[in-house]
Amino acid sequence: MYIGLDNFRTVLHDPIFWHTLLRTLVFTAVNVGLTMVLGTLIALLLVRVSTWVRLLLTVGLVLVWAMPPVVAVQVWSWMTNSENGVLNYILTRLHVGNYFNHNWYQTTFSQYSMVTSLIVWGAIPFVTITVYAALSQVPDALVEAAQIDGARAWRVFKDVTLPVLMPVLLILTSLSIIWDFGAFTQPYLLIGPGQQTSSNYLMSTYLYFVGFAKTDFGIGAAISILMLVIVAAMSVVYVRRMLRVGEVA
Amino acid sequence: MSRRRAGSLGWNIVGIALFVVMIFPVFWMISTAFKTNGQIYSFNPTWFPRHPTLSHFEDAIHRQYFWTDVKNSAIVVIAVVAIALGLSFFAAVALANYRFSGRKLFIVLVIGIQMLPQAGLIIPLYIVLAGRHQVNTLTGVILVYLTFALPFCVWTLRGFVLGIPKELEEAAMVDGSTRVGAFVRILLPLVAPGLVATSVFAFITSWNEYIFANTLLHSGNKQTITVWLSYLYGGNRFVDWGEIMAASTLIAIPVVIFFLLVQRRIAFGLTTGAVKA
Repeated sequence: MYIGLDNFRTVLHDPIFWHTLLRTLVFTAVNVGLTMVLGTLIALLLVRVSTWVRLLLTVGLVLVWAMPPVVAVQVWSWMTNSENGVLNYILTRLHVGNYFNHNWYQTTFSQYSMVTSLIVWGAIPFVTITVYAALSQVPDALVEAAQIDGARAWRVFKDVTLPVLMPVLLILTSLSIIWDFGAFTQPYLLIGPGQQTSSNYLMSTYLYFVGFAKTDFGIGAAISILMLVIVAAMSVVYVRRMLRVGEVA
Repeated sequence: MSRRRAGSLGWNIVGIALFVVMIFPVFWMISTAFKTNGQIYSFNPTWFPRHPTLSHFEDAIHRQYFWTDVKNSAIVVIAVVAIALGLSFFAAVALANYRFSGRKLFIVLVIGIQMLPQAGLIIPLYIVLAGRHQVNTLTGVILVYLTFALPFCVWTLRGFVLGIPKELEEAAMVDGSTRVGAFVRILLPLVAPGLVATSVFAFITSWNEYIFANTLLHSGNKQTITVWLSYLYGGNRFVDWGEIMAASTLIAIPVVIFFLLVQRRIAFGLTTGAVKA
């Protein structure tokens, strides 16, 4: 039966939708921000270390990159486990506080700290390796000229390196936004399928539980379309840049 | 970038510290897999396994459906790689070398489809597959993975095809080769590294995929290995971390191997020196 925009009306009048959207936007901003900043910093570090340290780090990054998400989730739940997780042990031994039997999955904030650490850890290698490749495009002569003119490290980075990196950073940021906004496997499995409630949904898990698990396909499809529209709006930068690449050819 | 402070002690120490932090979860997975339960379940961790044991690996591979689901994953991966490669190669050649109506729309779709959040497609794809009785079948999952793998493969291969100078193919045809002959003898070998790279991509995404496998495949003997692993957490109080880490290690190994493979292959210049400027 055709019911016009009723499903959209239901969704848009549901406070859970708006809370979830807000939570997802904050989650995306934090994850993308951390991924991009840390990934770029590590790429800059790669330029400054000896060859063997660079090799070591690259091997490490590739190994991390290669971890299947479901495997990474299992490793994270083992490491952050309240009873004998190594995280609690390390934090206690470093005198950060008494984390003996600390449960990391009690509050929404704590749950998402764990999910964020997992996602950022897994996303850094791609960003680092791409930015590192782009760094080789920065002309040595320009950097040296800036240094001879007395520019400090930060100025050299801001005025010489950054403009060269900008296109790559832009694409990486757009891609990260798209991926993190739709993240499902990590929040769903790490927090646990049974622990998902309206107080800790992300768009993807919200959609899954409201639309799919409760088989309310109409509502689910409405949420899907809203989600696609939001992602489409966010990925305009990326698609336009890619199109330009396509046209040049 | 400047060589000025390259290799200074301070940066090297930061680099090594970073390596230790990044690699720790992977190390911890492998280390736990070889430990005895006594070492696993104590608050004071054992960093390197003492008296390493293979019993967790034995538990994992003898658990119900492990081999069945490895086989399912293998079937899905092989089908996706073969079909995606075959179709996307021709699409990429068409896209790179020929003008045709609707080309721009095609490019927009190829790029745009990769942007869609997968969670948003669960319901529409489920409904379509249910209508064709393809829910809880590997065929359904293969079709779904193809919708994601194809756009990426087409786009990547197009880049590789573009990297091959037209002059090479034209020279072959001038020398009396047919279009097909030039295609087989010139284009195909030169695109080979691209084919390797894209097939590894298709391999990794379909081996790792979880969302659709989990929603589409219901019976234990029809699931893929990632879904099998996600259920290993178990419902009872006792969680067998040794077995979970052993299984995780086993499932990560193929991906690691193929990742190392692609790293090497992509680095080769494609047509360096084939045509003099």
